[in-house]
Amino acid sequence: MKKAWLVAKHEFISNVRRRSFLIGALGVPLFLLILFGVIIFISLSGMTTLADIGDVGYVDNAGILTNADTIPSNYVAFATSEEAGAALQSGDIGAYFIIPEDYLRTGDIRLVSSSSPPEELQDQISDLLIANLDTGLDAALVNRIIEPVNMSLLALDSGRLVKGDAIVGLFLAPMLFVVFFMIASQLTSSYLMGSVVEEKTTRVVEMLVTSIAPLQLLAGKIIGLGALGFLQIAIWVGVGYILLSLGRFLPFLEGVTIPSDMLIVAIVYFVLGYLLFSGIMAGIGAVVNSEQESRQIAGIFTLPLAIPFFFIFSFLTDPGSPVVVFLSIFPLTSPVGMLFRMGFGFVPPEQLALSAFLLLVTALFSVWASARVFHWSLLMYGKRPTVRQIFRAIRTNPGMATSATGDSRG
Amino acid sequence: MANVAVSVAHISKAYGTFKAVSDLSFEVYSGEIFAMLGPNGAGKSTTIRMIVDILKPDTGEITVLGGKLDDARKDRLGYLPEERGLYRNVPVIEMMTYLGELKGMAHNAAKTRSMQLLEQLELGDVAKKKVSELSKGMQQKVQFAVTVLHNPDLIIVDEPFSGLDPVNTLVIKDLITEFKNNGGAVVMSTHQMYQVEEMANRLLMINRGAQALYGTVQEVRGRYALPALLVEGEGEWSALTTVDRVEKLTDTEGSNKAGILLFVKPDMTTDDVLAEIVGRGGFHMARFEKAIPSLNDIFIRVAEGDDMPALEALEATA
Repeated sequence: MKKAWLVAKHEFISNVRRRSFLIGALGVPLFLLILFGVIIFISLSGMTTLADIGDVGYVDNAGILTNADTIPSNYVAFATSEEAGAALQSGDIGAYFIIPEDYLRTGDIRLVSSSSPPEELQDQISDLLIANLDTGLDAALVNRIIEPVNMSLLALDSGRLVKGDAIVGLFLAPMLFVVFFMIASQLTSSYLMGSVVEEKTTRVVEMLVTSIAPLQLLAGKIIGLGALGFLQIAIWVGVGYILLSLGRFLPFLEGVTIPSDMLIVAIVYFVLGYLLFSGIMAGIGAVVNSEQESRQIAGIFTLPLAIPFFFIFSFLTDPGSPVVVFLSIFPLTSPVGMLFRMGFGFVPPEQLALSAFLLLVTALFSVWASARVFHWSLLMYGKRPTVRQIFRAIRTNPGMATSATGDSRG
Repeated sequence: MANVAVSVAHISKAYGTFKAVSDLSFEVYSGEIFAMLGPNGAGKSTTIRMIVDILKPDTGEITVLGGKLDDARKDRLGYLPEERGLYRNVPVIEMMTYLGELKGMAHNAAKTRSMQLLEQLELGDVAKKKVSELSKGMQQKVQFAVTVLHNPDLIIVDEPFSGLDPVNTLVIKDLITEFKNNGGAVVMSTHQMYQVEEMANRLLMINRGAQALYGTVQEVRGRYALPALLVEGEGEWSALTTVDRVEKLTDTEGSNKAGILLFVKPDMTTDDVLAEIVGRGGFHMARFEKAIPSLNDIFIRVAEGDDMPALEALEATA
C-alpha cells in the first residue's frame, strides 16, 4: 500500500500545480471575493441615510395628512409641487413626496430626491400614510392585514429552524452545494481519466506495472486526486463562508446558510460520488486512445448527474414523489439528487441509508471493474475494444485475457 | 553454476486460435547477457510480457529471481519496454525520483542516484527540464537510466539501441556490459545481430512462437558452420588436393561473405589445408578462417523457415 501512497502523492503534487486547477480552485473564489468586495464597497459608499436627507417636504393633494397628528417634525408641507421643487433646488429640503388626488384609488406616490433616497424613508412614508388612512380599524389590525404571515419554519425531521428570509437560503444552499460538489468531483475524476490516458498513450504504464500492481496504481490515483478535490471544496466552502458572512451587507445573500447536517451528507456523497465517477473515468481512460475521445465518452456517463436539475420543480414542490425518491437513490443520480432532496425536504433515514449503501456498492464495483479493465487494456495497443471484450475483461483475470491481439504477439 | 535469474519452463500462450508462444523453455543466469531474437510477431514481446507478469501464460511456469514475480522481486527488476514512454510534462529529475521510489528506493537515495546516472549519461544539465524538451536520443538515455536506477538484479531491455546514434549506442552498450560485469542478469531483445555477437553470452531465437535456436553465441554459430574455409588472397586455390571445390563469394552482404570458400574434402582437416598451402608456396593470404555464418545470416534463414542443412544452404546462397 506504500506504493499507492507514493502514486497518490505524485498525482496530488503534479496536479495541484496545474494551471487549470489553480484557476478553478483559487482564481474563481478570488474573483468572487473581489467582485463581492467591490459590490459591497459601492453599495456602502453610495448609501444615504435619513439624517443625510434632512427635511422632507410633501404635497398632499388627497388630504390624507390634513388632520394628521403623527407627522414627523422634519416633514414640511407644501401647497404645490413647484414650491416643493424650489425648496429641493435651494437645499432647504432633501426630498419631497406628492400624494395625488386619486391616491386612495391608485396608491401612487411620487418621491423626488436630490440623491438616491434610503429605504427607511420609503418605509417611513408608507407607515405615515397607513397610520393616517381613515379606515376605522385599529392600527395593529391594519398591519396584520398588510402582512398577515411572519413565518418561521421548524422542520422536526431535520431539527432545522429557519426564520423569515432564511427560507430562501435553505433552497439556495443545496443548489450551491450541488454545483460546487459536482464541479469538484467532475474536475478531479476528469484529471484521473487524463492521467490514465496519458500513461497509456505514452506507454509509461507498461513500465509502471512492473513496479506496482494495477489496482494499487489506480487506488493511488484515486486517493491523490480525491484529496485534490477535497482541497478544492475546502477552498470553495471556506470562501463560501466568507461570502455568507458578508451576506448581511447584500440583501440577496441574507438568510443563506449551510446547515451542518447537509455538510456531512454532502461530504459523504462527494466521496462516494467521486469514487463512482473516478472508477468510470479510469475505465474509460483505459480503453480509449486519446484524451479527446475519452471526454466524448465520459459525457455519456456524467449526463445522469444533470437529470435532477430537470426535475428541480418536483424536488421543491413534491419531495416525496416517486421520481424524486428514485433520483435520490439511483447511484448515477443520487450524488446530486440526494443533496437536492436533503435541502428541499425530509428524507426518511432508511431511504438515505439505502441510497448511500447503493452508491457505496456501485462505487466499489466501479473501481474494481475499472482496475480489471485497466490491467487488461495494457494489452490493447492502439485498438479500441468492443463492449463485449470489456465485459469479458471484467469477468476474467486480466492477465489471462486471450482477446488482445496485434503488437502484443511480437 | 551461476544463479538462475529467470527460468521459463514449457510456457504457451494463445490469442484465440493464434498460438503466440508454444512450449518455450529457457533459463537466464546472473552475470550474463541473454539475447532474445526473432522476426516481428515471433512471440518475443509476449514472452517478455509473461516474464514481467503483464500476461499470464496459458500453461507452463515462470520464476523470476528465484520465485513468482511478487512486489519484492519487482523491486529487483528493471524493464525497458519496446515502446518507450515517459511523463512528458514533468521535470526529468522529479520523474526519475518518483519512478525510483516506486521501486522501493528512499526519496533522497532515488534523487541522488538519478543525478549520478544523468551525469554519467552526460545529461546532468537537463535534470530540471521537462521530458518533452529533450531530444529523442536524450529521452532514450533517460529511459535506460530509469531501468537501472534502483540497482536491480535483472534488467529486461527490449530493443535498447533503437533510435540511438552510434555514440549513444556505445554509451548504453557500456552501461549494459557494466551491469552484467557487476553480476546482473540481462535479457535483451534486439534485431541488431552484430550487437548480439558482440555483447551476448547466450541467445534464444524464437520463430513462430517456438524455440528455433538456443545456446551460447558460439554454439549457435558453430551449429551453422560450413565444412569450408573462408580465405582472401592470391593463389591457385583449385589446385589444392585437400579441397573439394572452390566458390567465390561476392561482397554484397557484409565482409563475412567476401572472399573465397574452400570446401574441405570430408577426410581432411583445416590443418591439412593450411599445411598444403604453406607447403606448396605461392599463396598470399589476407584471411584464413572457418566459414561460420554471421548471426544475421542465421537469423534470416531461421526467419524464412529455412531448415536446410548448412551445406545446402550455403550452396543455395553462394
